[in-house]
Amino acid sequence: MKKIPDKEILLFKSCLVNVEYPGVESSTKYLFDKLGIEYIVSERQSCCTGLGHYADLFDQFSTTALAARNFGIAKEEGHKNIATLCATCYAILKKSCNILNDKDDIREQINKILDGSGCHELNYDADDMDSRENIFHSVEILYNKADEIKDLVKVDLSGLRVASHHACHYCKVHHKDTIGNARDPMVIETLAKACGVETVDWYDRKTTTCGNGFRQRYMNKDLSFSVTAEKLNSLKENDVDILLHMCPNCQMQFDRNQESIGKSVGTEFGIVCLNISQFVALALGADPYKVVGVQTHTVPVDKVLGKIKQTNLCQ
Amino acid sequence: MNNYNFSRYAPKSSIDIGVFLCRCGGNISDTVDIEKLASSIDAKVVKDFENLCSMKCQKNIRDIILEEELDRVVIAACSPITHEKTFRNHIAPLNPYLLEMANIREHCSWVHSDKNKATEKAISLTNAAVERVQYARPLDAIVRKTKKSAAVIGGGISGITAALSLANQGVKVHIIENKPTVGGNMIKIGKVFSPEKLAEECSLCLFNPLINEAVQHKNIDIMTNSEIKSSERKAGNFNLLIERKPGHVNEDKCTACGNCADICPVEVPNEWNENLMTRKAIYKPFPQSVPDIYTIDDNNCIKCGKCEKVCKMNAIDINMEGEIVPLNVGSIIIATGHKGFDLKKRPEYGYGRYDDVITQMELARIMGVNGPTDGKLLRPSNGKIPRRVVMVQCAGSRDEKPEGKRYCSKVCCMVSLKHASFIKHYYPDTEIVICYTDMRTPGMYENYFRHVQSKGIKLVRGRPGDITKKGENIVVRLEDTLRREPMEIETDMVVLSEAMEPSEGTLKVAETLNVGLTEDLFVKEKHSKIKPVATDIEGIYVCGTAQGPKDITESVSQANAAASKVSEMINGGLEIEPTIAVVDGRQCEMCGECVAACKYKAVYIHNERISVDPVACNGCGICVSKCENNAIDVMGQTDAQIFAMIEGMLKDKKEGERRILAFVDYIGYVAADNIGINRISYPESVRIIRVPSINRLMPKHILFAFENGADGIFLGEYPDEVMYSSIQEKVNEFRSALIKNSIDTDRLMYYKVYAPYFRGLANKLAEFDKQVGKALDKLEAVLYKASYKDL
Amino acid sequence: MNTLKIDENSFELAEDIIKDLKASKDLGILKCIQCGMCTSVCPAARHTDYDPREIVKRVLDKDETLILDDILWNCFYCYTCHSVCPVNNSVCEITQILRQKAIDNGKGKPKVAPFSAYGESFLEFGLGSIPSNFFDDLIKDFGKEWLELKINIEDIREDLNLGSMFLPKKDVDDINKILEKTGFKNRLNKLRRCRDEENTR
Repeated sequence: MKKIPDKEILLFKSCLVNVEYPGVESSTKYLFDKLGIEYIVSERQSCCTGLGHYADLFDQFSTTALAARNFGIAKEEGHKNIATLCATCYAILKKSCNILNDKDDIREQINKILDGSGCHELNYDADDMDSRENIFHSVEILYNKADEIKDLVKVDLSGLRVASHHACHYCKVHHKDTIGNARDPMVIETLAKACGVETVDWYDRKTTTCGNGFRQRYMNKDLSFSVTAEKLNSLKENDVDILLHMCPNCQMQFDRNQESIGKSVGTEFGIVCLNISQFVALALGADPYKVVGVQTHTVPVDKVLGKIKQTNLCQ
Repeated sequence: MNNYNFSRYAPKSSIDIGVFLCRCGGNISDTVDIEKLASSIDAKVVKDFENLCSMKCQKNIRDIILEEELDRVVIAACSPITHEKTFRNHIAPLNPYLLEMANIREHCSWVHSDKNKATEKAISLTNAAVERVQYARPLDAIVRKTKKSAAVIGGGISGITAALSLANQGVKVHIIENKPTVGGNMIKIGKVFSPEKLAEECSLCLFNPLINEAVQHKNIDIMTNSEIKSSERKAGNFNLLIERKPGHVNEDKCTACGNCADICPVEVPNEWNENLMTRKAIYKPFPQSVPDIYTIDDNNCIKCGKCEKVCKMNAIDINMEGEIVPLNVGSIIIATGHKGFDLKKRPEYGYGRYDDVITQMELARIMGVNGPTDGKLLRPSNGKIPRRVVMVQCAGSRDEKPEGKRYCSKVCCMVSLKHASFIKHYYPDTEIVICYTDMRTPGMYENYFRHVQSKGIKLVRGRPGDITKKGENIVVRLEDTLRREPMEIETDMVVLSEAMEPSEGTLKVAETLNVGLTEDLFVKEKHSKIKPVATDIEGIYVCGTAQGPKDITESVSQANAAASKVSEMINGGLEIEPTIAVVDGRQCEMCGECVAACKYKAVYIHNERISVDPVACNGCGICVSKCENNAIDVMGQTDAQIFAMIEGMLKDKKEGERRILAFVDYIGYVAADNIGINRISYPESVRIIRVPSINRLMPKHILFAFENGADGIFLGEYPDEVMYSSIQEKVNEFRSALIKNSIDTDRLMYYKVYAPYFRGLANKLAEFDKQVGKALDKLEAVLYKASYKDL
Repeated sequence: MNTLKIDENSFELAEDIIKDLKASKDLGILKCIQCGMCTSVCPAARHTDYDPREIVKRVLDKDETLILDDILWNCFYCYTCHSVCPVNNSVCEITQILRQKAIDNGKGKPKVAPFSAYGESFLEFGLGSIPSNFFDDLIKDFGKEWLELKINIEDIREDLNLGSMFLPKKDVDDINKILEKTGFKNRLNKLRRCRDEENTR
């Protein structure tokens, strides 16, 4: 398995986490602090372009140029290990890093552009970053600390059945770098198990996309929803209480659209959607509103909150 | 520039040399002025003949040798590749290695037309031979004796076949099997396909007689529960240490009554039945096990002692200890086989999740009369006969993804057809669907394919992406690529055609014996075309699925081939050319550089001394160039011989004359001969020198040549996969030596030679001659400028 | 009947794709044996006529009408085909490259134009966002709470002790300069024009 760092980490902000599930960022910070992971957040970091990139709006060259700028910032701030909150940021940055390392002409053109844009100090030299050794998903950083997490659990979440949705852009795009078997990574399950819950380790359509499909959600909603529905139906058949995520885009797809999809297929799914960092933070006793940010969720998180209340009563 | 201490290599006393020139019926004398050549050579005797290779000349040469009391002989004639052996015989009573040949035909008269230049070149070629022969030493052919015994590792069909073949030829064979019984994978398969009879035959009925023959054979010793712990090579033989794990049952006393297993309280999955049923901790793997005794599985035994008490024969000893058995053998055959691909690595296929998703090997056990269902095809989940069986081909094979195997496992198409045929025969109502990408049934197997097809099996072309469960049914999802639409196949049983991968035993044995593996971790053959059962270590052979996926037919032929290779070594007695590496123990400091450098694994450490396996050594000389203490040398290719040759080639070089030394390996030499045979010309400047390999050369040789007037050095060698990387390193080493000594690197060229592509070599030599010319012009201009400045 | 003419290089389109900046190193397009595993796991193939195996077939046959084919726009970019392909081909990447070609030749512009607002907001803030033109539709599906979330997000972020998500002005300016030079602004302008034309229509 690849080596996962626990210091000199730049926590890479995500556009959808920013405005949809900011609790993912605060939960991750909460956990990083508890686990003694040394990291920073940079106000200068731009977005990765992911949503635009996969809507075919951004071209690969522009995306790569912006990645080079962000890599420059990570180096300048002495925190070369990037940990993303979103699977698409992860995929985009790794791809850009590979291009910058492998294609001399592209790297030179981009450096010229950085020079001409007053960003000379952010120039990228070949192998400044290594896609495998410097670019991670924040969930991998947590996975690496699963044993320590086990010792820090405060809330008894047993009785809840959870299942995972390992974002496609985490496990499939750079499948050689995925922890475990890219066909079924079990990264989220490992963390959930550390929190003492029952995990549904396999369900039909487990490896299927969330159905967002970038443009599909907006331009071909029916197509998008029929894929999401396949998955929701399977989760329902497996009596899943919580679907655990590692990507805000997937989380939106399942959380925000769940009711509409339920109506169209005549089912009430009631599947809580949480990022795995939010789930672990809750298990470790984080405040649901001040840290985990459950107030931004569409499907009520009550099932989990009830468990937390029980624990508090016991104390 | 460096000064070489040449005197170190000088011969001790004056040596009388006879030089014999051949006119070759005009082939040489039409282009080379033989009189001028004869008068230019400095030797005790110089004589020319019309046809040196004739029987009449043989007598002449011998007479002169005796009369003149010659010590060494030079033959200036045709290529040594044609007649070296002949002339070596001609010079008796002199030692055959006291001969040197100058190739003035293929490398001179046949490639040049200018008589003056050709004569000049013939003189230098002959001079070089004269110089070189002074350093020749008498050598004797090495006769290697191989011990008349062999170890066969693995007691499957390949191992048993090889062992029987050797034993029948009088060789003592030790079969080393790590399981409690021999039989391997074949014994687990109920039926084998027969493409000739278009039928399925009973596997056990074919194999059991062979096993029994092996058991009873006086020359075969079967060691079960045994593994090789270590192996040491010694003078072409192997000292092995075998660890014999305790079976806890005395072979001589056990009657295999089975009372012990009845009373044993421990139940564990029965691996011989692919874990489809259980066995006890004391067990006999299967009814026809060999040896026919019970054995205790140490990993699961709780040492309660019940079996010991119940055994009326007192055959059981729970405290029996293992032993280490030393074994000295002449050869080893690796027949360690394969295992099935771990389908848990393909979680989307549901293996291990759904009871009715099984492997072909599990199906083989289910269909085996001595299997968990007594040969009935029943679903593991509910014991009912399946209405439909879907087979999924290439499960783990032909997959470049990290968990997959890149290769085709070769047997699975036939295995699935075999099972389909068998099922159709006994369960005509059960439908068979095979999901395939390509049906691979080459040769006669195609007949069998058609035969099974005619029984009514459904073929769907598409590679399934996942397998799931919907209600009672299993669903296989794929694209029917010929209909071009995604489809789901409902079924109640799925059989995954699992890839073959090297068994753990194969990996372990390869490590212990230091045998090379392929990228896919099978034992690597020395050459897939011409040495398919040799490994990279002389005396160790491989057969069966340890070497790569193959079926029983192929395994058996390979096993016989391996056995015949072993017996070749034993019965033929091997006479080996003495031109191999020899270690001088007094100089050697045991740094091990030569061991690491040897691509043929011919150099090894034995009893704290460096030894060379004469059979494995091909005399390439890479070890010599790595030895800092001059403790190793290649016979017939000593430094003295190489320096003398270079010096001779450059002797009497005239002002403005260009001389290029072309060092080539055997293939390069053959190609150069072919240039001559085809009468293609190349510049007279080129002088070809045969070396075992470029690896034999060192920067000192190259620099010495330049220092003594060489204008260019050409290196030609066949890019053999074993040697090529080190040749590249070598050439780079030479380049940097030239740079260090301010010699233009354009004056050095490396070229990959191929025997049939001699025209390319001729062109390259001409091209290099021009390149050298330019480099020299450049040098001259620089020197002129420099001297002008000085003025 | 299709005739494979002598001297016709049917791999031109495939080779073009292999050279594209988006194509992974060692993209296995030429090794495709049409096994259909990609299609068997493709969500778009289950619900539309999109067939990844056939996309590769058409590319290998140099079928340039593929670039104009609406079918391309059904891919989810989920990379499932990419992650299972036994020969390391990636239909997902191929489709991305083909869509770019469609944009270049004009046919694809209207497909992408509706996402222009993403680019506009990126240039303004250096941040990604859901294009605002989709908001009305989304509120219908997501519920009014989502609109409230949009209004209250700053407060919620404050409650969560998260700093400002906005970049300093100098950095936004730099990003604008970079995107000007990479040609993105120019590209965006064309797409905006296309969007505005569609809207007036």
